[in-house]
Amino acid sequence: MKTSVVSNEYQKLQEEIMKLQEQWKQNLNPDSIDFRLDSEAMKTGVPLVALTNFDVKFPLFVQWVDELKQLLMSQNADLESQLNRVIELIDEETAKVWMEEAFSFNHLYFKKFAEENVLDEWIPPFLAETLFRPYLQLLSEKTQSKISQAVAGCGCPVCGEPVRLGQLEGKGQKILYCPRCHANWPEKKLSCSHCGNEDYEKMKYLTVEGKPTEQIHVCDECKGYTKIIDTRQFITKPSPEMLDLKTIHLDYIAQENGYMVMGEIKK
Amino acid sequence: MAKEYIKYVDVTKCDGCRACMVACKNWNDLPAEPEEFQGSLQSHAKVTANTWNVLNFIEHENSKGDLEYLFRHSSCFHCTDAACEKVCPEDAISYTDFGSVVINNDKCVGCGYCVQNCPFDVISLATYKDKNGKEYRKAQKCTMCTDRLEEGMQPACVVTCHPGAMQFGNKEDMLTLAEKRLSEIKEKFPNANIYNPAGVGGTHTIYVLAEKPSVYGLPEKPKVPTSAVIWKDYAQPIGKLMLGATTMAVMAGFVSNKLFNKGGHDHGQDEEGGDSDE
Repeated sequence: MKTSVVSNEYQKLQEEIMKLQEQWKQNLNPDSIDFRLDSEAMKTGVPLVALTNFDVKFPLFVQWVDELKQLLMSQNADLESQLNRVIELIDEETAKVWMEEAFSFNHLYFKKFAEENVLDEWIPPFLAETLFRPYLQLLSEKTQSKISQAVAGCGCPVCGEPVRLGQLEGKGQKILYCPRCHANWPEKKLSCSHCGNEDYEKMKYLTVEGKPTEQIHVCDECKGYTKIIDTRQFITKPSPEMLDLKTIHLDYIAQENGYMVMGEIKK
Repeated sequence: MAKEYIKYVDVTKCDGCRACMVACKNWNDLPAEPEEFQGSLQSHAKVTANTWNVLNFIEHENSKGDLEYLFRHSSCFHCTDAACEKVCPEDAISYTDFGSVVINNDKCVGCGYCVQNCPFDVISLATYKDKNGKEYRKAQKCTMCTDRLEEGMQPACVVTCHPGAMQFGNKEDMLTLAEKRLSEIKEKFPNANIYNPAGVGGTHTIYVLAEKPSVYGLPEKPKVPTSAVIWKDYAQPIGKLMLGATTMAVMAGFVSNKLFNKGGHDHGQDEEGGDSDE
């Protein structure tokens, strides 16, 4: 899929960031991740990341921040003063807190951090999330063979990210992909990823004219949606995060039609 | 510059389901063509202007005297050195960056030279009627789904092929796959070969065939017709050169006439003037 609503410049920046993250992941010591595969906890929807300890090396963290700074500045030199300020502010303790807060999506913490240190609101969570992903991706890589299912409504079984993207593979099997940690797991074709609904009368496929590879699976039970892309038709298969980015127009379509990323799980 | 791609067809994996034909009709919005019974499961005798790929069913007696039913997905080969492109007087046929050969319908005048010169007989003329009822013709053939390639998608026929008899990808990768497959089947099919004829500079649809090309109705050694080479590579450039020379001569004559006829009157005017004086 070459045409996208996302500008080429932004796509290139994203690809550069992904390259950096891949390099960082390659340089990580596999022992820096200590996980406990508690199948009973995971069956209840606890993501693996909650059962994992990450050994974040501070010098490596600072080096990554600096490399990311160089990349961002090549796109926007005006960011220099703010990024330098971040480097000044980060110490070993802050780095650990950032990793923990990134893991738990604690935007309130990052918002407060930005306000207190006169930074643009997007900078701290963006940096923390970008720096945390290599750890998540390494965790997912190490445990992928053990991941065969997820609990509906609990997001990615590895990192807890809400489910929003799937691909059709093989003979048409629906495989859900996490754009954050790259974990993947199969799901019934006629099943809602958010509430587990299997009532075919409440499941619909939204399609876009002229886009034969794209579907949005929507559920009228919980109003959740999942983007499903038939990547078997592509010449080269994009990474899950690029696929997620390039199909952002499907998020708009789903949300404009009254569906939500996570759905409303009825009790 | 886009990547150069190849459609690789392994006929030994084809089960003759004809889904490739349906997918092609569907994607390219081509009308159905009711056909007479061909004497076998084959639906059309050959590709037509509205059926850009046809599954060939061939009954073949092998070297052991056994009957074999051979299948071949047939469509445009997208030659590297395409005769159709060479003979087209309107430059309506061109190569894309992907390696496919496509027809510009706005330029095509329906002369049929491409139809006559294609060594594989895979181009046909479609007849249409304009709003005044006047008939006109346009050449039609498989485009290798160039519109899909532009969107990063594989051709429709490849995507739908359930036994995996067709694959699509980078030229080098597909040639390597074909070589590997040939080595795997050589024992079972001693006459197996890769069909990627050098006489047309190689093609962008290549086959691994279980038998000799002629068994599948393919020319053993196809080549660009000499007339096409003479026309495109010699006659046209010389013609343009001659046109250039003629133009130069006319311009030179005009300039010299202006330079050496400073009175601003030509002979005709002088003569007419002379007549009037008398």
